[in-house]
Amino acid sequence: MQRCVRITALATLTIVGAMTTSGCSTLGVKPWQHDLLSRESMQPGNDELAASIDDHLYFSKEASSGGRGFAGGGCGCN
Amino acid sequence: MKANARSSGSVPAGLRIEKRSDGLLAGRFFAMGSPCEILVADDNRRRVHTLIQLAAEEAWRIEKKYSRYRDDSIITIINRNAGEAMDVDAETAKLLDFAAQCHELSDGLFDITSGALRRVWTFDGSDRIPSASAVNFILPLVGFDKIKWQAPQIMLPEGMELDLGGIGKEYAVDRVHELLAAQRSVPFLVNFGGDLRADRIAPTGAWQIGVERPGTDREAAMVLELEHGALATSGDARRFLLKDGVRYGHIIDPRTGWPVVDAPRSITVAASTCVEAGLLSTLAMLQGKNARQFLDEQQVRYWIID
Amino acid sequence: MQLTRSKLFAASCTLLGVPAVHADQSDWSADSALTYYHESDGRITAVEPVVKLKGGFGNERTLDVKLTYDSLSGATPNGAIPSTRTQTFASPSGTSLNPVVQTYTTASGQSISERSTVYSIAPGQLPMDPNYSDQRFAINANWQQPLSRLTHLSVGGDLSYEHDFLSTSLNTTLSHDFNQKNTTLSLAVNGEYDSVQPIGGAPVAGSDYSRFQKNGDESKLDVNVMLGLTQIMTRRWIADVNISSDRMTGYLNDPYKIISIVDDTGNVTGYLYEKRPQSRTRNSIFWENHIALDDSTISTSVRHMTDNWGIHSDTLQLNWRLFNGDHDGYIEPQLRWYRQSAANFYVPWLSNNISYVDAASADSRLGALHALTFGLKYAFKTRGDFDSPSKGNEYAIRAEFYQQTPDQKMPGPGVLQGLNLYPGLKAFLIQFEWKFSN
Repeated sequence: MQRCVRITALATLTIVGAMTTSGCSTLGVKPWQHDLLSRESMQPGNDELAASIDDHLYFSKEASSGGRGFAGGGCGCN
Repeated sequence: MKANARSSGSVPAGLRIEKRSDGLLAGRFFAMGSPCEILVADDNRRRVHTLIQLAAEEAWRIEKKYSRYRDDSIITIINRNAGEAMDVDAETAKLLDFAAQCHELSDGLFDITSGALRRVWTFDGSDRIPSASAVNFILPLVGFDKIKWQAPQIMLPEGMELDLGGIGKEYAVDRVHELLAAQRSVPFLVNFGGDLRADRIAPTGAWQIGVERPGTDREAAMVLELEHGALATSGDARRFLLKDGVRYGHIIDPRTGWPVVDAPRSITVAASTCVEAGLLSTLAMLQGKNARQFLDEQQVRYWIID
Repeated sequence: MQLTRSKLFAASCTLLGVPAVHADQSDWSADSALTYYHESDGRITAVEPVVKLKGGFGNERTLDVKLTYDSLSGATPNGAIPSTRTQTFASPSGTSLNPVVQTYTTASGQSISERSTVYSIAPGQLPMDPNYSDQRFAINANWQQPLSRLTHLSVGGDLSYEHDFLSTSLNTTLSHDFNQKNTTLSLAVNGEYDSVQPIGGAPVAGSDYSRFQKNGDESKLDVNVMLGLTQIMTRRWIADVNISSDRMTGYLNDPYKIISIVDDTGNVTGYLYEKRPQSRTRNSIFWENHIALDDSTISTSVRHMTDNWGIHSDTLQLNWRLFNGDHDGYIEPQLRWYRQSAANFYVPWLSNNISYVDAASADSRLGALHALTFGLKYAFKTRGDFDSPSKGNEYAIRAEFYQQTPDQKMPGPGVLQGLNLYPGLKAFLIQFEWKFSN
């Protein structure tokens, strides 16, 4: 399983690398094609209140935190 | 006028829903003397049907309430009660307040009591223009400052009449726009015979609007691009008089009783709401030769066909 | 004439009964939630109300303020393992439940008396301090504004207060849009300073539990840098990658956690306070995707984290938001899978043969474990729909079930062989949320 994970990490880095080096100019949409993208559920950072409550739970019960936002919990629960 | 039979799922008489070649669903009906259409960028026919039914019912409601051609409209009742004071409802009060404000802002050029001038002017393309004495006879019955209006009470002097034809359609466009925008968040366009308003940018790029060449039948003189906002067009199209080579447009200056001379054939104005666009295009037309200068001063987007 | 566009606009707004504000002018919204959290086996229960206010000041400048109150109580594991005999511990909590006055010496030689609560754990039971009680108040504010048409800046701060812990932090994010706003690159920095004030003082790390050697207050610092890339892939797909690195220094121990010292036959001969390294560096990579189908949105995310404590973890999450016909209501099932490896200094207990350890902790949260979360949310709007974020009020109810299972398999020595030393955790939460926007 650890190998799978390392491969995922490598794949992600490759995608990021490819995205930045290709200039991302082939990807994307015209301004009038933002109809579906304007849905709340399509925004990164959607449902912030529920996500922060979940993150607080995971921070106090597990050893990892952050990733999407900042690490650290601001509480004494870990 | 329309029997609004509301059986579930069926479309009331006079309302058609079609799919256009560009993928937009269009609801079409007739109201306020014009072909009306609502374009919606949503593939779900049932959802679009609900929206368009709401739109048509609101348009028919406004027509029923404010059309001077109907015996039971508020306008007809007010006109019949000329000489006596009467109370009006909240919506009518807001319209009268708006008319009062615009009358003041435009130094009297916008006047909803100017309908009386129709008694001497008939724009049928002929050369029959009224005599100066006929116009002078009617002129004392025109002038918003002659009526007593203080919400909710109105008192029209005898012989005077109100006509909301100048803003009725634009008001309906804006009302239907607000109604639909509160229901769904899809791009839509409300078009009542050329007075239109678009909510959000069309999924295919900006909305493409064709403006008819005056004097032709549906031949597009130009195509405008609109992302969102309202457009209204004033034009003399089929309603004019022609005598001795002088063309008299159908919009009459309520201060003089005479139509504007040498006005452009068609003026289209863009604004945030349809009532604004309509008002500006009417006032621009009344400036005659100075239409362009007036619109430049108002800093609005406009298109003129001479 | 006196006609001006703005006067005409104002008049038409009055006619149409809409507020005379342009789209980019101020609007505000409030988002509040009430969460009830409950762990099984008499462990922690918590109630947490939260209110978040968001105001726009025109020209895309916004201020967010969030207020949180957290009330926890119940029992929490203290790090010791079950034994075949009754165990007795003293917890330096503030509540009185058979309080006993203890006198002890600080590392500097001072003599201090403190009230503490003594509790006993039956044989075979996981030792848990039943007097856990905490109330937390937190306020968090964030200001965002554009620096130019394509660049945005945000600055924020956090303050969180508990009777034994104070946290303050500052953060800033700079982002820039490219490719007709299809690509956004961002750089964020966060600094957090925490003051740890355990009741009775922080124990000397690694010291004998029965000697009550205490230091005073402690502190720790955490600096975090994050690089983010958001890319609109297609009309239906947006992807977001974040690479993050943080470094913590200072007092990283849990001041209330201990480690059992056990001999070869399984007798518990004593306890030590845990001792963690004084620094921790973590790196993580996070990738999320949102995909818009006609009547639903699928969101997935993957996170991989490693640190210099030997912990690496993987998190996979899936949310599927299914809309009703009019898109003004939805149900959203959620699934999360998590797995972490043990810290290299994690020990479920210490053998009494060992004379010295550099670092050790029996905190099960640092052990090898995996966890599964199942959630379901139902939400609806009273006006407008979920296709556009701005309109209408919204109400939601959410329930989530969390189960954590240790991956530690090693049985205890001697008579402890038959005992379950790694019971895991089950918890659920229920949340009500309501949002208002004008």
